[in-house]
Amino acid sequence: MKKLYSNKVVILSLITPGLLTFLLAILAPICVSIYFGFTDFAGIGEVKFIGIENYKVLIRDEGFWMSLKNSLLLAVGFIVIQHPIALVTAAVLDKLQGKAEGFFRCVYFIPNVISVAIIAYLWKFIYNPNFGLFNKLLQILGLEGNVNWLGSGMAIWSVLLVLIWHGFGWGMLIYYTGIKNIDPVLYEAAAIDGADFKQAFFSITMPLMKPVIQMNVTMAIIAALKQMETVYLLTNGGPGNETQFLANFLYKQAFKSYKYGYGNAISVIFIIICLVATVVLNKIFADREERRRKA
Amino acid sequence: MKKKLISMLLAATMVISLTACGGTQGNTASESDATAAIGTEETTEVAQSEDATIGEAVTIRVFSNLPDRTTGQGFVEQTLFDSYMAENPNVTIEVEALDDEAYKTKFKAYASGSDMPDLVNAWGQPSFLNEIIDAGLLAELNMDDYADYGFISGSLDGFSKDGKLYGLARNTDVMGFYYNKALFETNGWTVPTTYDELLTLADSINQAGLIPVSMDGSDKWPISIYVHDLMQKIDPSIKAEVQNSIANADFSNPVYTQAADLLVKAVDAGMFQNGFETTDYGTAKNLFTNAQSAMFYMGSWEMSMAADENIPAEVRDNIGVFMMPAVEGGKGTNTDIAAWNGGGYAVTANSAVKEEAVKLLNYMFKPENWSKLCWENGICMSAQNYSEYLTGSETPVQLEFTDIVSNATSVTGVTINDLGTSEFKTISEDLSQELAIKSVSSEEFVKALEDACK
Amino acid sequence: MNSEMRKTSTPARIILFVGLSIIALIQLFPLIWLVNFSLANPNELFTNGILVWPDEIQWGNYVKAFVDGNFLLYFKNSLLINTLAVLFALVISVMASFACIRMNWKLSGFVKTLLLLGMMIPIHATLLPNYVIYDRIGLTDTIWALLIPYIAFSLPQGVFLTSSFMSSIPKELEEAALIDGCGIYRIVFIIIMPLMKASLVTVSIMTYLNNWNEFMMASTYLSTKQWKTLPFAILEFTGQYSSNYAVQFAVMALTAAPALIIYIILNKYITKGVAAGAVKG
Repeated sequence: MKKLYSNKVVILSLITPGLLTFLLAILAPICVSIYFGFTDFAGIGEVKFIGIENYKVLIRDEGFWMSLKNSLLLAVGFIVIQHPIALVTAAVLDKLQGKAEGFFRCVYFIPNVISVAIIAYLWKFIYNPNFGLFNKLLQILGLEGNVNWLGSGMAIWSVLLVLIWHGFGWGMLIYYTGIKNIDPVLYEAAAIDGADFKQAFFSITMPLMKPVIQMNVTMAIIAALKQMETVYLLTNGGPGNETQFLANFLYKQAFKSYKYGYGNAISVIFIIICLVATVVLNKIFADREERRRKA
Repeated sequence: MKKKLISMLLAATMVISLTACGGTQGNTASESDATAAIGTEETTEVAQSEDATIGEAVTIRVFSNLPDRTTGQGFVEQTLFDSYMAENPNVTIEVEALDDEAYKTKFKAYASGSDMPDLVNAWGQPSFLNEIIDAGLLAELNMDDYADYGFISGSLDGFSKDGKLYGLARNTDVMGFYYNKALFETNGWTVPTTYDELLTLADSINQAGLIPVSMDGSDKWPISIYVHDLMQKIDPSIKAEVQNSIANADFSNPVYTQAADLLVKAVDAGMFQNGFETTDYGTAKNLFTNAQSAMFYMGSWEMSMAADENIPAEVRDNIGVFMMPAVEGGKGTNTDIAAWNGGGYAVTANSAVKEEAVKLLNYMFKPENWSKLCWENGICMSAQNYSEYLTGSETPVQLEFTDIVSNATSVTGVTINDLGTSEFKTISEDLSQELAIKSVSSEEFVKALEDACK
Repeated sequence: MNSEMRKTSTPARIILFVGLSIIALIQLFPLIWLVNFSLANPNELFTNGILVWPDEIQWGNYVKAFVDGNFLLYFKNSLLINTLAVLFALVISVMASFACIRMNWKLSGFVKTLLLLGMMIPIHATLLPNYVIYDRIGLTDTIWALLIPYIAFSLPQGVFLTSSFMSSIPKELEEAALIDGCGIYRIVFIIIMPLMKASLVTVSIMTYLNNWNEFMMASTYLSTKQWKTLPFAILEFTGQYSSNYAVQFAVMALTAAPALIIYIILNKYITKGVAAGAVKG
């Protein structure tokens, strides 16, 4: 029996499909990126090896830093705006019971099943300064209603709003599940002690939700780094590079400016940043967990 | 032996392209499968007798920047493809169409791959063509083929490099202000003759609660052209100077700063709609066609608005056009216009059906095809002599454009954004947008153009 | 919880309800707006007022969207590609998990970590190099150009979820089967897989949600209609009907419909699946 479990041929046949897909679709492109990242390849014509020149240019590239700044901003937006609302909503929803509970849970998640392409186009209309929904709303409220939502200075906030709106249901759902997993006996005990909703939220829900919150925060930061589709269709990084994100930035460099080599250099840095961010976040949270346990 | 090998290869590629086409047809799959089957048999015949070309099934892949296949130039293109397929039952034409910006992006992706479509849209401008010609991606066309096609002299220059021809120009493009005559009349506005009048006009239109000029600012190139249009008004002989400036990275000529200043003045006067820098082509056009704006700064290819049934009649029937008016202190007048031969077609060098693609291209540009259809349907001015197709029932805007072109005293030719490399295009167009939203000053704008050429 | 509920007074309950409803409205309003204008005249968008009551409901917009948007073809492609991606992802994940969790070999830990590493790789970073690779090996414009990356980027999560579930299945079950003379494959597919229904559903839902709406890769790797997926209907339509907003809205509503309908029908399973996938992943 042991023999069967160490049969090399069986192991190989079980693992090969997975490993092959991984190699073909993830590892191979990374290697290709690393290679092209050292060249000035334009996508067409000759490939010339230029060493780390691309990376030197990159650290001086305004668009690159702007992308990172925007990712950071988005992550903060997720954590400071989206998640608190989602967490509180989830806690409130949990108290609601009956048909309404299921209805709201269902509705909140709807934007997540709608294609990003639709979301982006739809919001483009909503933001249109001349006939969009938002300016019409402002006009009805008696204001001038000529805000240039996607214009300079304003655009990044408008983009953040769409992304926060779109991801809200997802975050809410996860908090909701987390809360549902909390033993109701705890709330009952608190109620007997005379605690109201607010007290119960801060003394029971919050502490017990810590692991869920940590996971959600990690996911938010990673999602902020990986953002591409919405921005690509909504603003394509503009005006200037004000709403640029890394993925969109590398796409633009490679396919708009014939800087294929440079685009790949950005890909490489992009991957490194995502890896480092994940590792660091896990480390931070793991350390805190440990310290908590020791204390 | 060699011959046999080639014919076998040929047969193989045929089969591959046929199977590919068989599946792509979607609901007509069964039909094309039938042709595919016939085609394969005939290919074997070809392998034996070399000159049997009739009836050989061919699929020509076309990559087009005209996604709207039912109106405008896309309609003409599709009509010609349909009639070509009717005349040549062995030919299947597969069109992939994306709008301009998506087209250019995808084109670059194609260019970096090995599987380019056979007939592609191309712009007769250094920013688009130089790199792909140098990379050997385009097939050379035979200049003599087009001797009696009536191409206006100079219209194919943009598609030529080192004395070789690589493409055909679709149109003569002229940039100007379309205006809504009905709105002008009811409000007592008149067509401005100087730039200052245009600025004053913008003010009164704003006061009437309308947008003076709708501008496609997110695509950026219309802003670049606007600046070049102004340069032409300041100095009609600027053409050579611009080329030198880009070649030598020297933009010390004051014309650049002056033109940039004039654009900023227009922005300050509230000439363009709120948020113009993020308004895309379709939205800018829709503002005009829905009478939200009084004017629309765009090229002559949009003359087809006057013939587009989708546009409300009260706008459609009242479209006029005027050129960028003269500027104070400038040497040019409104007959010194922004015009060039831009969009057109090219055949790719590695196409498996190169000869068939060239045949199709030549068919399209027989004067009685593209040129005639475009004019008769009020869609655009071809780059060929279309005078014999005048019908007498032209839309007013068509006649106005004809007058403008025949009275022109000078033309810009390819505009500044398209005279350099594709990277210069990206940078200079980005810059013109930044200038328009005043995140750079005129001086910084010119300085940055200079840096981009170094 | 019930005892606590009873303590929530009626006014408080109303406030809660109003608050939740406002959020629901915010989440839904853009979609209501979308459907509203998809039934209007194109120029009615330029009138004042937030919603319009069209003079005449323009069902024709949907007919145009359905026919010219290649809706059926793209829908069929989306369905086929996504279903295949899910099936492949499931089978491959389970096989890989079994190899890493149950089988005895030196590199099992390393290989599992390697596969899980994929979760951290941004999918768009592979866009450029994959284009070149697929082009060289002739995969562009084939179904594989989408299937391979879709499977590959669903795999890490699949392996993670199935392997954690698999380790909770008691080994005795397999041992009994082994004594009966079953081979490893039969154990994996006949004995283990049926036991893992819950986690397989989760993996399927996550894979569908991740890939159904994907379009960056689709628009980069595909050129002909043959394999284009549903999001293309929208991308193509904005060019094709650039001067008719109502039809653009109709195509958006139509494209959103299948996923929305499926979601509403299966909403219990989907929310559960997502929650399970995210909390564990």
